[in-house]
Amino acid sequence: MASTEHREVPAARRPALTGDGVAALSAQVGEGPALFARRRAAAARYATAADPDRVSHLWRFTDPAHLLPETLAAPRAAAAPPSPHAEHAAARVLMLAGMRPLITAGLKALAAGLVVKPLAEAEEELEALEAREPAEGADPGSGLFQALNGAAWNTGLYVGVPPGAILDEPVHVLIDAAGGGTLPRLVVDVGRGAQAVVVEEHTGGDAGSRVVSSSELHAADGARLRHVLVQTWGEGVCGHLTARARAGRDADVLTVFASFGGERSKVELTCDLAGEGARSEMIGVVMGAGRQRFDHHTRHRHLAGRTWSNIDFKAVADAAARSSYTGLIRIEQDARGSEAYQENRNLLLSDRSRADSIPELEILNQDVSCSHGATVAPVDPEQVFYLQSRGLDPDEALRLVVRGFLEKTFGRLPGDLRERLEDLVGARLAALQGRAS
Amino acid sequence: MNTGTQQRLEDINQNYAERYGFHDPEDYFLKAPKGIDHELVEMISRKKNEPQWMSDLRHQALDIFRAKPMPTWGDTAMLGEIDFDNIHYYIKPKGEQTSDWNEVPEQIKKTFDRLGIPEAERKFLAGVTAQYESEVVYHSIRADLEKLGVLFMDMDSGLREHPEIVRKYFGTVIPTRDNKFSALNTAAWSGGSFIYVPKGVKVEVPLQAYFRINAENMGQFERTLIIADEGSSVHYIEGCTAPTYSSDSLHSAVVELIAMKGARIRYTTIQNWSTNVFNLVTKRAHAHQDAVVEWVDGNLGSKLTMKYPAIVLKGERAHGEVLSIAFAGHGQHQDAGAKMIHAAPNTTSRIVSKSISKDDGRSSYRGMVKITKGAHGCKTSVECDALLIGEHARSDTYPTMDVAESDVSVEHEARVSKVGEEQLFYLQCRGLDPDKARLMIVNGFIEPFVKELPMEYAVELNRLIELEMEGSVG
Repeated sequence: MASTEHREVPAARRPALTGDGVAALSAQVGEGPALFARRRAAAARYATAADPDRVSHLWRFTDPAHLLPETLAAPRAAAAPPSPHAEHAAARVLMLAGMRPLITAGLKALAAGLVVKPLAEAEEELEALEAREPAEGADPGSGLFQALNGAAWNTGLYVGVPPGAILDEPVHVLIDAAGGGTLPRLVVDVGRGAQAVVVEEHTGGDAGSRVVSSSELHAADGARLRHVLVQTWGEGVCGHLTARARAGRDADVLTVFASFGGERSKVELTCDLAGEGARSEMIGVVMGAGRQRFDHHTRHRHLAGRTWSNIDFKAVADAAARSSYTGLIRIEQDARGSEAYQENRNLLLSDRSRADSIPELEILNQDVSCSHGATVAPVDPEQVFYLQSRGLDPDEALRLVVRGFLEKTFGRLPGDLRERLEDLVGARLAALQGRAS
Repeated sequence: MNTGTQQRLEDINQNYAERYGFHDPEDYFLKAPKGIDHELVEMISRKKNEPQWMSDLRHQALDIFRAKPMPTWGDTAMLGEIDFDNIHYYIKPKGEQTSDWNEVPEQIKKTFDRLGIPEAERKFLAGVTAQYESEVVYHSIRADLEKLGVLFMDMDSGLREHPEIVRKYFGTVIPTRDNKFSALNTAAWSGGSFIYVPKGVKVEVPLQAYFRINAENMGQFERTLIIADEGSSVHYIEGCTAPTYSSDSLHSAVVELIAMKGARIRYTTIQNWSTNVFNLVTKRAHAHQDAVVEWVDGNLGSKLTMKYPAIVLKGERAHGEVLSIAFAGHGQHQDAGAKMIHAAPNTTSRIVSKSISKDDGRSSYRGMVKITKGAHGCKTSVECDALLIGEHARSDTYPTMDVAESDVSVEHEARVSKVGEEQLFYLQCRGLDPDKARLMIVNGFIEPFVKELPMEYAVELNRLIELEMEGSVG
């Protein structure tokens, strides 16, 4: 797992993308001329995009070269796995590089108007979306990765929830990292007053796998969107995951992110509070072990008045794992009466684990209430001692302390999600053995 | 100028002319032309009759200054306004150094009168070093301090009279190539304070110096070095005020503090440069075993201030504190912060930063807390509070925490708010007009900082805040 630790990869190294290559990728996903034109425009941006600036906080902890795939050649279509079941889900989707997404939707959800289809076939929907919400300019910080995904995505999905539709069950999207380069692209459009839960789960892969994903989520006026981004990659996977959400007037967006697997991962989450009264909450959990490196960035941009945001991010690092966090809250001049909060707490379980935290604020308006806090601390030996005195063995005591650390954050999650994440944490905790003394 | 000096200068000029083919009348030194080059650096060094090592250091520093790029972070738009070729790098005041207040020229005296120097003197504050246009013109030190062996003088005299101490420590805390502006300072430095407190000596009264920029387009590059030997303690106060000029001016000081085993240094600054001054300062301290270093830092003036007082906690159980306030009014950007490097086990630190942004003023906290490998059992906390007054005010918080050990405790908290309507309402109910009520809230906000200042500074600060707050309602 340590093999890439000292690997010499120049930061400027980026996989080549020729005109023919772009055409081949386009043909493989089967997109029409309008999407092909967008892909070519992204390829042009990719060719000229600057390397991420390692001096800036956004990229100081991760070398972009580690996250890039070696080649962008159209992947060989994988053997079709068995069709996923849509039990307890509005829809289930399996995405693999170079393969048409496998989609199973429940009848109830379809009746409510849910649209889940390959992105290549959603040309009309994308145009309608863009007419409603003009696309934003390129991100200065990670424009290279956005352009790369736009030019070379090799599996794509569109999820549309019509105005007023209320989905009781989640749309579960499983994205498998198998192969050398998986570039998934997701667009989620939740209409006015509609409600939906989208679970984006990144899984699978091995030491040769690289993932560069991009998810775009729109919550129209009064919509309620829950986006769950879970990463449970296999050992050695490296990747860059981006999710950008936009909340309209009185919209309510909850982003839950949980990272457990892989070797090096960088996750960038943005929510633009674009309409008055919009709310956004981000809740995150990271558990790292071995030599894993996690780098998370969150960004809340308050563009309209009376908007509210909150971030609660907890990281637990064991062995030689390292978690880095950078977060920005920006309140623009017009966003009067806004509130923004941000909390990052890091628990270090071993003397070789590390945590970095840079929570940033940019407030351009006096009529706000804003605070943030960050801590890095080891397990309190007194807590472990106390639990041992109550008859727990050292490992159990340590596991209990970690659970206690995460408890408040888990308490904010809806029931089913909470259970699922607790299971994942439980699996990681089971590995904590024979180390507490 | 006496004949001795004349003689020395002539000797110098021989060599000098060979090197540059340029013979200069001594009047030249009254006001050097704008811009900086090796020629000017050579002239500054020779005028000061410095030892060769310092002269070499200055020349090296100039090359480093030129080679280093401008910072790509911070307020790059404002930094871009600096025209290095349009700045005077050296001006010598008329009159020689004196230790008698009566000998200080009348015009200079008037300026200092307004700043309250005589009051400070009357209050038996230990020493007064007034910097006027790059060199110290007034200097006195209480006899009892001299008896204790405390050295307190301007940096030029320090280099002349105690070259062995200066050579040993100069540039050891802030190396020339630390950043572009420390390199510039090393090349062009003039004035500043040199303090050495011998082992076990506790200086009970604060030592203080006032600085002023008093010529248009003039840069000031003070160089301060304070060494507190084992078990000693000292409190140094530096205050800056400057009259308003029509074009921009650059101030780029380097301040190095060394607190030996068990020593204690407190360094208090209140900076009130006129709002056309670029104030780009490097301040850093080394705290050895069981030492305590405190930076108390107030930033009220200047156009752009970039100042991040740093403490390297090098010895076990050393403690560092930075307590700062910033006030950014119209057109100002206070980019201030703090740096704590925990390089030894069981070291502790605390940063408290308060800022007020008014009108279109912008204040930024930019900080770094670093716990290096092997620095077990450290504790650190950072607390930032920002108050916004006005629709266009801006506040930023950019803290960095870099922790390489796990058995440490690192905390950061920040809050941004406006003056509370409820607080205002309550105070108005008690009969205060809105202006007074607002001032009272601001005063309450900065209280933790003000109470750390000697009384006359606290009074002056309150007066300054009052002035800044005038007409802030509506």
